[in-house]
Amino acid sequence: MRRNKKISPVLEAGIRFVDYKDERFLSRFISENGKILPGRLSGVDARHQRQLARAIKRARYLALLPYTGSKTV
Amino acid sequence: MTREYEAVYIFDSALEDAAITDTLSRHHGLLSLAEEPKLDIWGRRQLAYKIGRHENGYYVVARFAADPSHLPEFERALKLDDGVVRYLITLHEHELGVTPERAEANAARLRAQAEEDDEDEE
Repeated sequence: MRRNKKISPVLEAGIRFVDYKDERFLSRFISENGKILPGRLSGVDARHQRQLARAIKRARYLALLPYTGSKTV
Repeated sequence: MTREYEAVYIFDSALEDAAITDTLSRHHGLLSLAEEPKLDIWGRRQLAYKIGRHENGYYVVARFAADPSHLPEFERALKLDDGVVRYLITLHEHELGVTPERAEANAARLRAQAEEDDEDEE
């Protein structure tokens, strides 16, 4: 699952601050099982990876994303 | 001193819309806000997982500038309210992360890399 992309997908989407309410965007950064994808796989820069991790955890608490299992919401 | 907060509430989806707006304004009254909170009502949607017996929730996002000293009382009221399935209060930190200079630098880097990446897109 190696990518050649050097560019951060977060910046690419024109997002300056990762929003925990945007579950469709966040769902791109979780695995089939609901795990947060490591930055080395998703190509996200460290700063945004930290924002993503926090946003995903908040979204999980709000039942916007699953803690585990399928992405279907 | 006030701070900008953003709160997301998940109400019991069985409640009437009018009852929800009622409880909302009652709870927001505890904050003694200078301005009306900005409400973004998402309405009913399916939860990503069951919370107790709930499979659906009525989502409301509120943004307000409140004095932090009012928050404990506000949170206590939310906890005691059976109509509130879940809530999350966060500091509203949009746009705080990037300064304009950085945004410009990022944009420049994006342009440079877009050209470079043209031939080896995945």
